[in-house]
Amino acid sequence: MTSSQKKRNITWLAALIVAANGFIPAIWVLFTSLKTEGELNRIPITIFPNQPTLENFTRVFVDQPILVFIANSVAVAIISTVICVLVSALAAYALVRLRLPAPGLILSVILAIAMFPLISILVPLFAVMRDAGLLNTWWALIFPYAVLSMPVCTMVLIAFFQDIPADLENAAMIDGCTRVGALFRVVVPLSAPGVFTAAILAFVNAWDEFLLALTLSPRVMSRTLPVGITLYQGEFAFPWPIMSAALVVAITPVCVLIAIYQDKIVSGLTQGGMKG
Amino acid sequence: MTSATPVLKHRLTPLERSERRLGLVMLAPAFILLAATVIYPVATLIWTSFRFQHLAQPWMGTPFVGLEQYWKGLTDPHFWSSTLNTALYILVTVPGAVIVGLGLALLANQPFRIKWPVRLGLLLPWALPLVFAGLIFRWFFEFKQGIVNNALIWFGLKPLNWLTDPTLAFIAICIAIIWKSSSFVALVLLAGLQTIPKSMYEAAEIDGANKWQQFVEITLPMLRPAIFVALIFRTITAIQTFDIPYAMTNGGPGNSTETLAMYIHKTTIDFLDFGYGSALAVLMFIVSVIATSGYLRYTRRDPSKAGR
Repeated sequence: MTSSQKKRNITWLAALIVAANGFIPAIWVLFTSLKTEGELNRIPITIFPNQPTLENFTRVFVDQPILVFIANSVAVAIISTVICVLVSALAAYALVRLRLPAPGLILSVILAIAMFPLISILVPLFAVMRDAGLLNTWWALIFPYAVLSMPVCTMVLIAFFQDIPADLENAAMIDGCTRVGALFRVVVPLSAPGVFTAAILAFVNAWDEFLLALTLSPRVMSRTLPVGITLYQGEFAFPWPIMSAALVVAITPVCVLIAIYQDKIVSGLTQGGMKG
Repeated sequence: MTSATPVLKHRLTPLERSERRLGLVMLAPAFILLAATVIYPVATLIWTSFRFQHLAQPWMGTPFVGLEQYWKGLTDPHFWSSTLNTALYILVTVPGAVIVGLGLALLANQPFRIKWPVRLGLLLPWALPLVFAGLIFRWFFEFKQGIVNNALIWFGLKPLNWLTDPTLAFIAICIAIIWKSSSFVALVLLAGLQTIPKSMYEAAEIDGANKWQQFVEITLPMLRPAIFVALIFRTITAIQTFDIPYAMTNGGPGNSTETLAMYIHKTTIDFLDFGYGSALAVLMFIVSVIATSGYLRYTRRDPSKAGR
């Protein structure tokens, strides 16, 4: 074997390990979801489904109102993402450009408050939402989720805004634009990739959240998807094929999203951590 | 550059003053949101922690009890066992995720012609909700039909009671947490790896350094800031571990895999003891402040200066 061949084989092996580590659990769940209860109970277990069936998927839609869970998740994730990105963009711009006293300190304060452990604010947040009559509504989750993603969105947007030359805005303002006009006509369009990245990260954070959703939406019809999925387990039995089918239904949209926007997500994740 | 000007208290020009005012207006939405969802709730949390408030015993009212509930927490063996469990999860899964993540990042940092399988392989575990990861691993570790026990049987070994034995359940949960969180670490470290100039390795090769020496002398030191960021992020999330043990064992068998977050949730939401749960939440907050202060020291830099 020549050395370049050996090198190519190592590269292949490396790619295989990383991809397998990420994909195998999802693939295993997909296989399980296609098996019948009878095949599942066979020992030794089969790897590929012998007689693939879609029956488990029908049960997913019959046993629980999964379409309602999906609708709740989509609505909460989208609205909280819009609020989070708007609020973070305004704050990030003010911190980068507007000569505030001690911007570093202000940023630290925002991050410190927004990163308060969820479990600690869970108890009082439950009481606050109950008193405001917001329990079981989308709003009980939307506001906390907007705060949840504020640190990473603010950091990503600060990194992008810093790269935009101030001269561009100054030119726009000389041409008669106001500060806010310059922000929305010059800075936001120029940092569209950054805004978009921040939005994806906020969306995934909101889509994945479990603890608040479990606590602040106790009614079945206001459950989000991560909490709704756990409802498929029975009192004593754990119906794995149906659970797996439900997981497949729940995972697929996010898989499509990350497959389409993989570059932006990777750059956003690393920027939020590294660059800010 | 503002930083280069001497520290003279110069008067703000009208333009600067109006800009500063606009800046404060633009920060207002962020602070209003924080006040409504964090600051006000935290104030009521501290208030409630000094009062007896049990939703199942409304006839008791909410009398002021001072530090009694804190004392109750500090002498509650259940509080300490769940704190110990949380500490064990942090001690095992934070270094575990960083080591596995570093391994994945090194593997992913090869010159692939087709990039998407590797990148999606790293993104998928990151994007998966924690509770889904917990459910999937619960299925892996299932006694009779689980893939892990069947693999053990295939190798001629005995199947293990993964989720009903306290030690094995802890190990199974740690494996699930490390799998789920190592991909985020890998993404952060991969970005760090890609900033290391190739020329450094070429120079080392000319000097006769082998691969291991290159890793220890170049890769690790250059990755230090990225590893630090990953460690802090992981620690902050590990303190709040809830979803994966909740999905895999619900804290069982007994309380052997229960975390502090799970105990607080159980006390308040299941047992409705808001007063005691609030005191526990404050105690937990004090612990996490100590852990997060490291991250804040790192990020506390002036964002209005581009030179980083």
